[in-house]
Amino acid sequence: MGAGALTCLMFVVVALNAIAAAAGLALFAVAIWVAVDGYKLYPISGVSGKDDIFAAAWIAIFTGFAFFLTCIFGIFAALKRSRALMMVYLIIMFIIFLFECASAITAATNRDYLVGNSNLVKKQMLQYYGQDSIQGKQITQTWNRVMEQVECCGADSPEDWILYNSTFKQIYPTYNWPLSCCKRLSSFELQDPAGCKVGLTSTLFTKGCFNYIESVLSRYTWAVSWYGFSVLMLVFFTLVIAMIYFMQLE
Amino acid sequence: MNINAVIRLMSLLSLWMRTGEGQIFQPELTPNTFLARITSNTVMLKQPYCVFDQTCPDCEIWLVAGLCSANAIFDAQVNSSTPNILSLSPYPTAFNSSSNNFFLTRVGLLSDFPCNQSSNDQYFVVGADGKCSGINCNGELPDGFSVCFKYLLIYTNETLVNSSNWSVNIDLPKLLNLHNINDGLSARSGAMVVITSILCAAVALLLLLFFIMLCITCCTKKESKEISVTNSIRIPRYDTHDLKNRVHPYDNPAYQSDFKNYSTANTLPKDVTQKL
Repeated sequence: MGAGALTCLMFVVVALNAIAAAAGLALFAVAIWVAVDGYKLYPISGVSGKDDIFAAAWIAIFTGFAFFLTCIFGIFAALKRSRALMMVYLIIMFIIFLFECASAITAATNRDYLVGNSNLVKKQMLQYYGQDSIQGKQITQTWNRVMEQVECCGADSPEDWILYNSTFKQIYPTYNWPLSCCKRLSSFELQDPAGCKVGLTSTLFTKGCFNYIESVLSRYTWAVSWYGFSVLMLVFFTLVIAMIYFMQLE
Repeated sequence: MNINAVIRLMSLLSLWMRTGEGQIFQPELTPNTFLARITSNTVMLKQPYCVFDQTCPDCEIWLVAGLCSANAIFDAQVNSSTPNILSLSPYPTAFNSSSNNFFLTRVGLLSDFPCNQSSNDQYFVVGADGKCSGINCNGELPDGFSVCFKYLLIYTNETLVNSSNWSVNIDLPKLLNLHNINDGLSARSGAMVVITSILCAAVALLLLLFFIMLCITCCTKKESKEISVTNSIRIPRYDTHDLKNRVHPYDNPAYQSDFKNYSTANTLPKDVTQKL
């Protein structure tokens, strides 16, 4: 290969590595956003033991930053035209590639277990809402906040509270559903306590909370897995070009 | 003393009741669509406006709530002038296996429900007290059964003045057990399949390309020759020009002096500074 073509290939490798470094840094930032859990829905996945979306986010934090550092090293190795450095670069990138694949696949798979349909969220709500254990307190707090802020009640509808036996029903047998389901005035007082208790539809929230919970957890999942997937496709392309460059080096 | 007169009055009035127009002579479900109109343990009835037409200042309206299969049992027990109607079947033991399967609970004074103030927005929740312990408390109904209701008009000395018809059968749904909810995997989403399959293929391809690259670089390394030196290694200097001793641009860098002299021929230079 001529010297001119080799230099051109070197610039391509440098440019792709620069882009991959930036993409890796963005993956690092997005994964931090998921791990911080701004919507505070972690207890719903944590109590059921299915919190792999957040585990995948933690892996993506490390791999994103590792991609950033290794791609900068790759730029240096390409400019130096050194076979040994390029080999080290390729091996490290391949290892990080494997870990990032694991993160993307884990997040996408675990989301299906958690919010494929409303059953798991509903069962967890009925079992833990109002319970006196640690998980019970977390779930109660989470659901109270969701029901009040998103203006919803129950998983699919308030009827979830009526149709099924629940811990809440055992503790408060005279209430059909929690008071968080009731509409409130701006002073946080209940708009109509008696009407809400019997289910007057203008005094309580009638839509279910599952849509909101599913949309938030899906947003986290797609942030980690689809964005991770796109970074991996870019890195795949970069590694193929880097391998070609490696073969052309003397 | 007044009992016979009361019974006659009752039968006359009940005859008149049934032919009365616009009067609903039995408990009814509330017509509004409340979400908790019929739950597993409670039922919402209309308040008893316009049920009894008597003007009886101290009379109270009481409700008989029980399984529909116990309607005949109640009618048999209360048809005669029974004393202490209200304590016939206390709530705590009402729905045991060998019990009467009905209980009585107070709705309100007859004077609280005049016909001209009838309203469909008012309701009476049967079962509002939950699992209570009073004899006539408004306790919850058993889930999964058909329940029927009847209004009674009771005078203050616990004597029966009038009674309405039985309501229609109201089926209470069975309370579902939350542990029967199947929370296993429902279905795999398309996105998960796409991501998994494409990433696995990419890893395999990358590994394959990596090994191909290693093979190619290793093979070409074995075939490569040593760097050939065009100069002879035996001649320390080869000058084509008549240069003075000032510069020696053609010194052979690849010249290797002998560590051991294998020949003493005169053709070999003994002094590198001599010009050939």
